[in-house]
Amino acid sequence: MSEVRVPSLLLSVLYPLFGAISLILAWQFLLPALGVPAYIVPTPTAIVGIFAKSGGLLLSNLWPTAIEALAGFVIGNLAAVLLAIVFVHSRFLQAAYFPVVLFFNTIPVLALAPIIILIFGLGMTPKIVIAAVICFFPTLVNMIRGLGSASTNERELFRVLSATPWEVLWRLRFPRALPMLFSSLRIASATAVIGAIVGEWIGSDKGLGALIIQATFNYQSDRLYAAIVLSSTLSITLFLIVVLLERRIVRY
Amino acid sequence: MARAVEAQALDVGYVAGSTVIAGLDLAIEAGTFLSILGPSGCGKSTFLRVVADLLAPLKGSIKVLGDDPHAVRSRRDVGFVFQDSTLLPWRTVRDNIRLPLAIGQSRLTRKIDDRTEELLAMMGIAPLAERYPHQLSGGQRQRTAIARALLGEPRLLLMDEPFGALDEITRDRLNDELLSLWRRGGPTILFVTHSIAEAVYLGERIIVMAANPGQVVKDVDLRHLKQDGNRCSREDRGIVDMMAEMRSALEAAS
Repeated sequence: MSEVRVPSLLLSVLYPLFGAISLILAWQFLLPALGVPAYIVPTPTAIVGIFAKSGGLLLSNLWPTAIEALAGFVIGNLAAVLLAIVFVHSRFLQAAYFPVVLFFNTIPVLALAPIIILIFGLGMTPKIVIAAVICFFPTLVNMIRGLGSASTNERELFRVLSATPWEVLWRLRFPRALPMLFSSLRIASATAVIGAIVGEWIGSDKGLGALIIQATFNYQSDRLYAAIVLSSTLSITLFLIVVLLERRIVRY
Repeated sequence: MARAVEAQALDVGYVAGSTVIAGLDLAIEAGTFLSILGPSGCGKSTFLRVVADLLAPLKGSIKVLGDDPHAVRSRRDVGFVFQDSTLLPWRTVRDNIRLPLAIGQSRLTRKIDDRTEELLAMMGIAPLAERYPHQLSGGQRQRTAIARALLGEPRLLLMDEPFGALDEITRDRLNDELLSLWRRGGPTILFVTHSIAEAVYLGERIIVMAANPGQVVKDVDLRHLKQDGNRCSREDRGIVDMMAEMRSALEAAS
């Protein structure tokens, strides 16, 4: 039996577009018809309306969250990459401290957030730290695996060429680890935003997290949904930047 | 004549108390094309790793190009070609060949000249220079690996089953190209293979190794079977008989 071949444009663009539009239409017309009240689920047009009405307020709350998420993303991933480099060069340090890092990762970020706020106060710093902490662990684990993934023959080739440890790291281990680094960066692009928002929930009067809390308690569901849309847009933007960078850098 | 490799009472192992090679005595003249045959686990590849200073012997002594293997490696007088080509997937063919230039040029005593374009042409891969390894066939990958090993003009080329994963036709073609390179004043070659036909066709001399522990059980000079420049035909009577003799030696060693 021959398989029916579906054009790739249909699969990658038109079908997903159809899915999204059909769900938005159902949301716009079906939910009100079923009697779902607007204070629980406002319609898409109401959410778009709030962007027009309170665009300034939404944007002023987007920037702090974006800065915290981006700073946390950079700091958390950079720290993870550096620690992974230390660990793969010292079996002692890896054996001694990796289990501690593993234990640290089992603490739920919601439980950790108040402690971080106690230490760093109520400014932007604790939110950046929470976003960094949440990005850190997946990147650390992936980088340790990636940096150690060079084959025996590849390591022997570099020894034959009398490469220094720095040359092995820069010319072999690091390029080998790049695909795994980027897969964790894609995950971190979403988790960094989650970290910043969680930090704002616990102690902040600005940012999308703070806006979500205020809108929830004031029954401003259109504003709540608009904040959610902005959070999601922020994650998607960060994700797309990572994907574009990956396509430019990892060409194999 | 100067010796390329001289091993005396050499014991080699990966774990203390267990030797892969025991009491190996072997002298290889500079400029020789030596084929090394033997069953799996007999220490053929291990011996190449000792020569390349990738592995230290447990006992005995080894001189490479009249010197300590470490000094020879530091001077980049040794080239190594692996079975799986070991091309770096993030570098193009040209950049893979240029890898030795990216390592130690400012630090090591012997600088390497950039002969990339010459080697690309010599190995017949110039049109592929901007391709990545995943865009190459097995034969093209091995040609690139050989070019990379030759970039530093090594005096000793170690080849560990380099054509083992290739089809018969490609393997025969690369055998001829390798011989042609070697005839043009190429380095001493130590060529490990599982193929009796390849070993006899390429080598001026063959050693057969046996396992447990690894030792040389047969050492044959083939120059009387070949014309000048190590030339022969795979159908020559003497070559065919030698293949049969090597098969018997290999069966006895297995």
